[in-house]
Amino acid sequence: MIKRVATKPLSWLERALFIDFIKGLSVTIRHAFSRTITTHYPYEKLTPPKRFRGFFGHKVVDGNEPQPAYDEWVERFKIEVIPGKSRCVVCMLCKRACPVPQLFEIEGKKLENGRRVVSVFNMNLMLCTFCGFCVDACPVDCLFQSDIHETASYTRKDSILDLELLEKIGRDWQIRRENEPDRIWIDDSQREKLWHENKVRLPEPQFRGRHEW
Amino acid sequence: MESVVAGIIIAIIKILVILGVVLGVGAYLTWVERKVAAHIQRRPGPMVVGWHGLLQPLADGLKLITKEDLFPRYGNKFLYNLAIVLALVPATLVFAVVPFGPEFELFGYKIKPILTDVNVGLLLVFGLGSLAVYAIAIAGWASNSKYPLIGSMRKAGIIISYEVVITFAVMGPLILAGTLSTYEIVQKQIEQNLWYVWVQPVAFVVFMFALLAETGRVPFDIQEAEAELVTGFTVEYGGMKFGLFPLVEWYVEVLSLSAIAVVLFFGGWSPINIPFVGFVDPLFFLGPFSPYVWFLLKVTLLFLFILWLHWTLPRYRIDQITETAWKIMLPLTLINIVFTAVIAPVVWG
Repeated sequence: MIKRVATKPLSWLERALFIDFIKGLSVTIRHAFSRTITTHYPYEKLTPPKRFRGFFGHKVVDGNEPQPAYDEWVERFKIEVIPGKSRCVVCMLCKRACPVPQLFEIEGKKLENGRRVVSVFNMNLMLCTFCGFCVDACPVDCLFQSDIHETASYTRKDSILDLELLEKIGRDWQIRRENEPDRIWIDDSQREKLWHENKVRLPEPQFRGRHEW
Repeated sequence: MESVVAGIIIAIIKILVILGVVLGVGAYLTWVERKVAAHIQRRPGPMVVGWHGLLQPLADGLKLITKEDLFPRYGNKFLYNLAIVLALVPATLVFAVVPFGPEFELFGYKIKPILTDVNVGLLLVFGLGSLAVYAIAIAGWASNSKYPLIGSMRKAGIIISYEVVITFAVMGPLILAGTLSTYEIVQKQIEQNLWYVWVQPVAFVVFMFALLAETGRVPFDIQEAEAELVTGFTVEYGGMKFGLFPLVEWYVEVLSLSAIAVVLFFGGWSPINIPFVGFVDPLFFLGPFSPYVWFLLKVTLLFLFILWLHWTLPRYRIDQITETAWKIMLPLTLINIVFTAVIAPVVWG
């Protein structure tokens, strides 16, 4: 059965006195004299939340790798671990997870001492949909998505991220935001600025040890 | 001979002043409209070009002028260009009969701040108002395209309905004033100590509806309903030719009809009125400039009210619009005329 829902029809008196017009006009005039909520974009920019899906990056080896996964993968592929360089173990799981695998171009090379290291890691972002499957697939927390969202460029060449650039983005990220708690808003004052009429306090982020999970 | 020369010089000065003010203000009203619309939607509007975007109209004008001039294949070039002229000229001509203030004396010449105080001023206003439909119909026809044609046909339907209604609506004030001259109507209101809106509220509401319909503003902007007709009859126009239509329709026409509404219902340049008692002038310290300020203030407030309505209300369907015109507005105005005839002797007093 279809339940029909309708607003109460206006009485003739309400029609004659334009009550509905007046209601609407009162709403718009209240908005007209309240604060604007625009961010003046090129002059002021919002910091996206930490889980924002922006440009890709490679986190570098700095001693915070997820253990024991990282050591296992390093052992399996006999990877040369160089501090300050990409954590990539050339497992190709990102390429397998990708809906458009052609956008990855990954190669490793063998060093003199018999161990291996990633040599080529190109991502063609013209094909990318920023779905984040590759990031979920990465077993060593190497590939990640940063908060860089201004992706416009003058040439198509600029939309291809190579290994050097990925590492640079990763280093920058680890310095700026690695230790930040994961929440939607950058901080409460930011949230206040955007949604000041919604006075809900965010719960303080809680850091729990692994044994509590 | 000397008085003829002086008359011509005075007329030319008046023409230049009115044209400059109307077209300059018309261009800047785009900025006003964008600001009002933005703040109603809690945006700041144009902010980059100049202080709070004050130079935005100039930037827009420059952009429109330097754009490529496109012309649709198989269109009628003569009518296509004629439509622009037909839209601009009548809308601007209406200001010829708008009185801006009382008569004053300068170097021994008596000057009325009205271009031509013809004794059929209002007739001229509505004649020129009806001419606007030709511009839109021709623009739709000459474009040789479906959307413009549909848009212009809708607009023609609306204007034909509301021309009848607006003419009957202004009958009330005309009966009370007993004259068609806009200048005389204001004089009568001052003599009778009465803004006609106090005794003609129904006529005023109907006039406002007709004003919105004739200028194609929301809730009657069916001729350029964006979701259905892209931009209606201006689809095939580009550059400044496109820019002129909204300028004329949304700004010059609204401004002229607001001025006529102020003249008919709010006593033109007279200060605040207490019905049948007198006038209170809080701006007395401005001396001889007070009437002009009052007139501009009233027109501005009315214009802002129309903008406010525009950015609040949704759009009516074409059948609802014509139905309102013929079934509600027209009978209401007829009843209003009878009512006016009854109370007229009291006002004439």
